[in-house]
Amino acid sequence: MVEFFQTAIIISVLAGMIRIATPLLFAALGELVTERSGVLNLGLEGMLQMGALVGFLVSFQSGNLWVGVLAAGLAGIILGLFMAWMVSTLKLDQVVSGLALNLLSGGITFYWFRVKFSSAGTQMPNIQIFKFGRIPVLSELPYVGEILFSQHWLTYFVFLGAPLVWYFLYKTRIGLQLRSTGENPRAVDMKGLSVTNHQYGALAFGGFMAGLGGSFLTVASAGMFLPEIQAGRGWIAIALVIFGNWVPWRIVVGAIFFGFIEALQLALQAHNVNLPHQLLLALPYILTIIALTAAAGRSREPLHLGFPYKRE
Amino acid sequence: MRNTTVSTDQPQAIHQPLLKIENLTKRFPGVLANDNVSIDVRHGEIHCLLGENGAGKSTLSETLYGTYLPDSGKISFRGAPVEISSPKDAIEVGIGMVHQHFVLVPPLSVIENVILGTQTSGLHMHTETTRNRLAELCDNYDVELNLDAKVWHLSVGEQQWVEILKALYEGVDLLILDEPTAVLTPQASERLFSVLKRMKDDGLSIIFITHKLKEVMAVSDRVSVLRKGKLIATVNTTDVSKQELANMMVGRDVMFTIQKEHTDVGKTVVEARALRAKNERGEEALIDVSFGICQNEILGLAGVSGNGQKELFNVLVGVLEPTAGTLTLNGDDITFAQPGARMDAGLGSIPEDRIHEGLVMDFRVEENVVLGIHRREPYARGKRLIDQDAIRRFAIESIEKFEIATPSASQVSKTLSGGNLQKLILARELSLSPAFLVANQPTRGLDVGATEYVRRRLLDQKKRGAAILLISEDLDEILNLADRIAVIFKGEIMEVIDAKESTMEKLGLLMAGVQDGQAR
Amino acid sequence: MKLLGYRLEKRVEVSPLWQFLSALLALAIAFAVSAVLIAFAGANVGEAFLAMARGSVGSTSAFAETIVQATPLILTGLAVTVAFRGRLWNIGAEGQFFAGAMAVFWASAILPNLPALAMGMWVFSAAILAGSIWGAIPAFLKARFGSNEVIVTVMMNFIIHFILSYLLSGPWQDPASSFLQTAKFPATANFSRLITGTRIHLGLGIALVTAVVVWFLLWKTTLGYEIRAYGINALASKFKGIPPMRTIILTLAISGAIAGLAGASEVTGLHGRLRLDISTGYGFTGIIVALLGRLHPVGVILAAIVMGALVNGSLAMQITSGVPIAMAFVIRGVVLVALLTVEVLAQYRIRRHIDG
Repeated sequence: MVEFFQTAIIISVLAGMIRIATPLLFAALGELVTERSGVLNLGLEGMLQMGALVGFLVSFQSGNLWVGVLAAGLAGIILGLFMAWMVSTLKLDQVVSGLALNLLSGGITFYWFRVKFSSAGTQMPNIQIFKFGRIPVLSELPYVGEILFSQHWLTYFVFLGAPLVWYFLYKTRIGLQLRSTGENPRAVDMKGLSVTNHQYGALAFGGFMAGLGGSFLTVASAGMFLPEIQAGRGWIAIALVIFGNWVPWRIVVGAIFFGFIEALQLALQAHNVNLPHQLLLALPYILTIIALTAAAGRSREPLHLGFPYKRE
Repeated sequence: MRNTTVSTDQPQAIHQPLLKIENLTKRFPGVLANDNVSIDVRHGEIHCLLGENGAGKSTLSETLYGTYLPDSGKISFRGAPVEISSPKDAIEVGIGMVHQHFVLVPPLSVIENVILGTQTSGLHMHTETTRNRLAELCDNYDVELNLDAKVWHLSVGEQQWVEILKALYEGVDLLILDEPTAVLTPQASERLFSVLKRMKDDGLSIIFITHKLKEVMAVSDRVSVLRKGKLIATVNTTDVSKQELANMMVGRDVMFTIQKEHTDVGKTVVEARALRAKNERGEEALIDVSFGICQNEILGLAGVSGNGQKELFNVLVGVLEPTAGTLTLNGDDITFAQPGARMDAGLGSIPEDRIHEGLVMDFRVEENVVLGIHRREPYARGKRLIDQDAIRRFAIESIEKFEIATPSASQVSKTLSGGNLQKLILARELSLSPAFLVANQPTRGLDVGATEYVRRRLLDQKKRGAAILLISEDLDEILNLADRIAVIFKGEIMEVIDAKESTMEKLGLLMAGVQDGQAR
Repeated sequence: MKLLGYRLEKRVEVSPLWQFLSALLALAIAFAVSAVLIAFAGANVGEAFLAMARGSVGSTSAFAETIVQATPLILTGLAVTVAFRGRLWNIGAEGQFFAGAMAVFWASAILPNLPALAMGMWVFSAAILAGSIWGAIPAFLKARFGSNEVIVTVMMNFIIHFILSYLLSGPWQDPASSFLQTAKFPATANFSRLITGTRIHLGLGIALVTAVVVWFLLWKTTLGYEIRAYGINALASKFKGIPPMRTIILTLAISGAIAGLAGASEVTGLHGRLRLDISTGYGFTGIIVALLGRLHPVGVILAAIVMGALVNGSLAMQITSGVPIAMAFVIRGVVLVALLTVEVLAQYRIRRHIDG
């Protein structure tokens, strides 16, 4: 057990922490924007899943990983728009719509997977995943170089995205309109703005981010697709938004923490530490439940979150 | 952004009305809200829309503002026909509206609320230009307002001014105000009237919606009376008397005040001592609230909305735990008792929001009439099994006794009108002959008939021996019904006075926090 | 909304007839979509649907198997119905299902020699208790901390899966086998067949009885009244003395208990031992069954049979047309989405525009 605490292992855990946080952060940042517009998107899990599949399939067909990533983002946008149609145009119950989206996405991905890859025991093809994007000079720094500057480009993208999301929400005109939509959509409507348009935009963004995050799981991580590869990350991302009190930097911290837990768990398994591996695997899910009870206050929760807006 | 002064390049235009509504009809499922209404509003006039609750005033103005689409009719602005199918169109045409229930974004500042939606391009908001313009407007009308304050920290009167600012900032030519004085003290209402008159002098036209005759006489040039969706008449205010207006409004001779009978009070039933409580945001909402109410007595609680009434109601009913103080009912300490236990101890309550706090709208009438008492005999056997027949019988009895207009007891409650819903709640609460009845804004939104009914029932209960706390923003109601009057301001009871010694002015000052000449 | 002299007017109350028709319409849409997907898979649509029909209801043995598939769905559908009536989003029926199944093994293992009737009651009590605990935990967290029960119940699904996986590869593993499964249950714990020659087992009887119990609970008891009131308007319920914490916990405990019963019924009726693959997403399909069945026990039974037919029929479809069974998962997802969108239509009616 003592050998576990060697420097090399610690560094790889920390580097893994940032890497594993990536898909969570994609989903959570997207969900933050969506919820700020008043929509609780419980279909996030399904969007991640679709992103994983589309990212894999298109990368495989086209031979180009970035094309796969963009396609995944596009698939996410489509699902986001579909969700928006259900909750913003048809004004259906948001919880049930999200569940429906998950079940639909689960069914489609599972079916697609079976059609393409399980007939007559075809071997699941692997794709060559992204290589790390080592930043010149910075990645040579001791310790920090490995942890912070030798990550995937998608990882840099999402971590830079966090302050951009903050800026968008709090410093721009449309960000103001979006936040108002989530706090009091009637105020926005009476100003002559369209609540629906804002929610469509927010959900398209949320879907795009989820699609990208999902593609990370296949294209930058596993190299192949398995049904349920997203393993509940969509739900954890939603919990992160709550736990982060709808504030970008807290969500980033939360994502990193979960990344840490999973990276730690992987390292413990790899080094045959004497703990039942199922307990380790269950850790993120247990922690999510704890996070939801210890939520340090929901003071910034958008006032109109979860309710469809109807102009009476 | 538009100028608030009227353009004078067409002298004839001044004699043409600014706004002309012709044959406007608007229907909702089951009700004809506006029936062939034709009204015109002139340049530089304050035009009152008078009618009781349900007469169609709000519907008419919301149609003007584009919230609703008329079924038929024509609207012309400055002589040209206009199509207003959304608030966006209304704003573009030059119509602004201050809604009865404010449409502000609470966590945002005043500037952010005003600037929202006024810019159609650009990455950033032009807050500096807005700030200057707003400061100018506030200055112009002698209003003091911290432009950076978050709206949820503002008083209701300040919030209303933000709503007005929103419209002025857009540069409207016609401003509609829907029941603006519902949330103001008498003095604040006076101030609002003088501001409106100055706006009129600056060239603005104003439509002022109200059901209070006093206000019509105080502020308007002309008044249009609506009744049950139809326009009864449009008259010059100077040509008409309050009684005539009242008759037009209701269609029969109206008695202005209910004759209060004097009853000797009995023993003390309710005692609240030094109650303290926090609101949803963790701020102090009730500070050292103490009062006592006896049998056969109505204690009126007057105050501007947002000064702790909601929290007091919630503490009394048992939904909000006080942080200090005690509450006793007939000797029992119910400070921390659950709502059910309080009902057992003799508490009855009429909430201010009948739809969200008092009823389950998707339930049938018979299911709602036993909400809260569903575990008692005879409605349940052994507390666990529902006795459908007993409930049905009680429901039918209640419908008859309380004159609830509904085809049957198994009708879904959603279909009932506001007045009938309130009667349903009364039937339920009064069936237990509560020793202590708390009524929070019991006649809000009700037409004259229903209002009279509710008030009469409250007086009946008082006669029967109940101790009643009447929380109301309607000073006339309090003066009419209460034996003693307490005024609440920023969570504190300012004073409790005998009704006989109360006047509008005195109460108004207390409601604004002014006691013995000192402002709090 | 105005269109060609007609307009849509919102209904105040949706009649049961319309609710039924909208469910049918949703199914029709789902089948239309799946026709497209079947074509995409390269199979003959007509042939595939025919195979599906024959395989699910085309013969008594096919129909019997459909009933077998429907049995756990009736129970999970009822479990979800109770929860959803209280507006408590129990997505954990899957995990509660496993809890019940696990309890059967544990109970039969510690008291293996009980006589048949006692054994039956013993294992089923254990299953109900286990399911209700697995449902009460998220309920308590929601009532006490306001934790979103959707996320917590989903997490609980994952957690119990890992617990089971651990147990089946260690302490509970059948010493005589290297598969992830337990030893067989004592014979007394297993359900007898109700109809010989089929796999229909006692679980069906239990499911139907449970349906009656749920109906009675929701509409004939004060608790059921409180659950429904709370589900529609939690605030008013609170004001009128319906205690939120007690209502939330009881609702999800009952919901979990019924789902646990489903798990117990499956393992004792069909498998005879505890394995990882005893559920093909019955907990999640239960959500669709509940919504398709309009949160009413009668509807749930009908919807469960439809879903059972879908699963059973897709097996036949795979054999005949080569369309993967996974198609059933797509169809069930489309059914739900179609149901939601069609429901919106059911809320409106077309009114002639009087003055044109």
